[in-house]
Amino acid sequence: MKVSWMKKTQGGLFLTLSLLVVFSFLLAACGPAATTEAPAPTQAVTRESPTEAADSTATEELMPLPPITILINESPWLAGFEALVNKYVEETGHQVNLNRTPFNGMLEKSRNSVQASESEFDILTLNEQWYMQFYADGLVTPIKEIDPNFELDPQIIEYEWATRWNPELGYSSQDGELYGLPINGNIMLFFYRKDLFEEQGLAAPQTWADVEASAQKLHSADMSGYVVRANPPNWEFQAFLASFGGSVIKLDEQTREWEVTFNSPEALEALNTWLKLGREYGPANYADNGQAEMIALMASEKVAQMVLVGAAAPDFDNPEKSTVVGKVGAVPVPGATIGSNATMSGIWVMGIPHNLPDERKEAALAFLTWALSKDAQLFYAQSGAIPVRQDVYEEMANDPTQGWWMKAMADSTPFIHAQPRLAETPQIIEVLDRRLKQALISEITPEQALLEAAREIHKILTDAGYQVKPLAD
Amino acid sequence: MQLTPNSSSASKPVGLTNRLGGFIDRTFQYWTIAPLVITLLLLVVYPIFQLVRMSVSEVDIVIGRAVWEFVGLKHLETALQDPVVPVALKNTLVFVIAVVIIETLLALTISILVSRSKHLVGLYRTVLLIPLLVPPIAIGTMWRLMYDYNYGFINQVLAVFGSAGLTWTADPKLAMPSVIVVDLWHWTSFMFLIILAGLESLPQEVNEAARVDGATESQILRFITLPLLRPTLVTAIMLRTIFAFKVFDEIFLLTGGGPGTATEVISLYIYDVFSGQFRLGYASFLALGLALIISIFVIFYRRLGRRAQL
Repeated sequence: MKVSWMKKTQGGLFLTLSLLVVFSFLLAACGPAATTEAPAPTQAVTRESPTEAADSTATEELMPLPPITILINESPWLAGFEALVNKYVEETGHQVNLNRTPFNGMLEKSRNSVQASESEFDILTLNEQWYMQFYADGLVTPIKEIDPNFELDPQIIEYEWATRWNPELGYSSQDGELYGLPINGNIMLFFYRKDLFEEQGLAAPQTWADVEASAQKLHSADMSGYVVRANPPNWEFQAFLASFGGSVIKLDEQTREWEVTFNSPEALEALNTWLKLGREYGPANYADNGQAEMIALMASEKVAQMVLVGAAAPDFDNPEKSTVVGKVGAVPVPGATIGSNATMSGIWVMGIPHNLPDERKEAALAFLTWALSKDAQLFYAQSGAIPVRQDVYEEMANDPTQGWWMKAMADSTPFIHAQPRLAETPQIIEVLDRRLKQALISEITPEQALLEAAREIHKILTDAGYQVKPLAD
Repeated sequence: MQLTPNSSSASKPVGLTNRLGGFIDRTFQYWTIAPLVITLLLLVVYPIFQLVRMSVSEVDIVIGRAVWEFVGLKHLETALQDPVVPVALKNTLVFVIAVVIIETLLALTISILVSRSKHLVGLYRTVLLIPLLVPPIAIGTMWRLMYDYNYGFINQVLAVFGSAGLTWTADPKLAMPSVIVVDLWHWTSFMFLIILAGLESLPQEVNEAARVDGATESQILRFITLPLLRPTLVTAIMLRTIFAFKVFDEIFLLTGGGPGTATEVISLYIYDVFSGQFRLGYASFLALGLALIISIFVIFYRRLGRRAQL
C-alpha cells in the first residue's frame, strides 16, 4: 500500500515536472524573439543610390528601404553594435533585425544562408579567417555591383586590404575588387601594468628585448612576467614573426609565384623569442591560455605584460571584473628593433550575400555606408565597440576613459599586418596552430616545427594549384 | 468439359481477378511496410550514400551552388600523408580503450553494490543518472573551470593541503587523463544503468540454489552472475565503444585537442577539416574511415555476444 502511494507520488511529481518544463519552453517560445525588432519604418528616404539614401535626411516620401537582417556574433563588442543599430533605426526609420549567434555557429549560418535560393540575412559578419572563401567563391556581392558610385572613405582602415579580393592572384590585394566593409577593427595591442612599470622605473617596451628585461624584473611566484596566447597561438606568433621581418608565405610580384618562408632564419629567431617569453616568464599552465584566461590573468593581477586584442581593454577598466582599474597601459605591439613593430589584423568585415534581390542589397549597403560614417563610428566607439576609422581613433585618443588604449590603436595603424589571405587560409592556420603548440610544449624542436609547418603549407599551396617556389630547407 | 466462348470469356476476368488478388495477398506485407522502407531509405540510406559520394569527391560551394568533382582515392592518399591522422587515431584508441575498460569495471562494481542494497536503490539510481542528463557542453565548461590552474576548484582544494596545484589541461602528460576523468564522470552512469538492468533481470533461483549448495558470494559472482551477465556486458561495451569513438564535445571544450596534439582525437579533427577548413570531401572520407573502424569493433562485439549466448 505504502509502495503504491510512493509510486503514485513519484509519478505525479514526474508528470508535474514534465508539464512545468514543457510549459516553460512554450512560454519561452511565445516570449520576445531573440532578434531586435526595431519599430516599423516611420520615415522614408529618396532612393537614388544606397550611398545617397544613407546620407539623405530628406523626408520626401518615395519608397522606404526594405527591413534588413544582420547575422552578428555574440562578442564583447555586440553591445556597441546594438547601440549603433538602434541609432540607425532612430535616425533613418529603417528596420533592422539582428540575429545574434555565438561564434561557433556563425560560419555554419553564413554558409547555409549563401547556399539558399535567397539568403535570410542581408548582411553577414565574417571573421578574418573566413571572408577569403566567401570572396573567392563569389558568395558575397562586390560593393560596386550594388552601387557603381561607391567610394570608400580614405579614413576607413582597410587592414592591409581585408576588404578586397583579386581573383587573378587569388588573394586580397590593394588592386582587388571591394567585397566587404570592415565593421570591427580588432588588432593587437601590448598591455602592461603601468603602475608596476612606474614603480620599477621601467619605460613602456618598444622591443622584445625590452619586454624580456621587464619580465625578468617583474616575474615572481605570484606574478608572471609575460603570458603567451597558446589557444590558438598562430595570431600572436605572427606578430612576432612579422616584427622580425619574417612571414608565413610571400608573393613574388614579378613571377607571380608564392614562396613559403616560414622556415626562414627570421622565423626561427621569432619563435625562439616567443617560446622563451612564454616558458620562462609565463604561468605554470603557459601552454593552455586562451584569450579569456589571459584577460582574467591581467584583471586579477597575475601577469605583468601581454599581447592581446585591443577589444580586451575595456575589461581591465571594468571594476566588476577587474582589480587593475586604471593600472593598465597600452602601446603598439613591440618590434624586434625600434620601429619594426607589427600588429596582426583580426578584424570582422560585413559582406552582402550574392543571393539577394537588388532592393535588399541596396538596403544593406545603405546601412553599412551610414555605419562607417565618422559620426556613426564615433558613437560606435563611445558605445564600447572597436571602430574602423583612423580619424575616430585620433579623436578618441583624448577621451578621458578610453583614450589610454584608443591612442595605442591609432598609433598601431602603420604596423598592421595581414595573415595569409588565400582561400586556403583555414588549412594554413590549422598547420600553424598545431606546429606552434607542439613547439610550445617541447613535443618538437623549434626548427622542426618551422620546417614541418613549411612543408605542409607548401603542399597545401601546391595541391591547390598555386605556382610555388621550391621550399628552401 | 466443353467450354462455350461465353464461359471462356467470363472466366478470364475471374482468373485475372484471382491472380491479382493472389498477388496482392502475397505481396500485401511488402505494401504495408513500403512507406516505412521508403522513408528509411530517404532518411538513412540516402545520407550514407551522399557521405560515400562526398568521400570520393571534392565539393566546393561556388556562387551558392555545390560543385562536385570526382577525385577517386585522392583523399586516401591525403589521409596517408596527413600527419594529424595517425596522432588522432592513436589518441582516439587510447581514449576508447581507457574509458571503456574503466567505465565497465566501475559501473559493474556500482551495479552489483546497488543491486545488493536493500535501501534507497531508487535514490542511488537517480543520483547516478544525473551526469548522463547534463548536456555535454555544460560538462565541458564546468570541468574546464574546475581544472583551471589559477582559479579551479581542484587546485584550490589541493592548496588547502599545501600542494601547489597541477596544470591539468596544460601538461601533455596530464591532459589525456584529465579528459578521461571527465568522461568517466559523464558516462559511467550509462554503463551502470544497462548493467543494473541486466543484473535485475537475472533469475534469482540459480543464486539461491548455489547458496543452498554452499557457494560463497564471490563464487556466485564469478561463476554465476558474471557468465549470465555476459550478453548484457557485451551490448553495453559495444554501445559505449561506439560513443567513445565519436567523443567530441568534452575534448573540444576542455582542451581543444591540446596541449600540442596530446588530446587531438579523430572526431575533433574531422570537425576542424569540415567546419574550419571547409574541406567537405576530405572530412567525409575521414568520417567514413571512422565509421569503418567502429564497424570492425561492432562486428567483433557481435561475435563475442553470440558466443556468450551459446
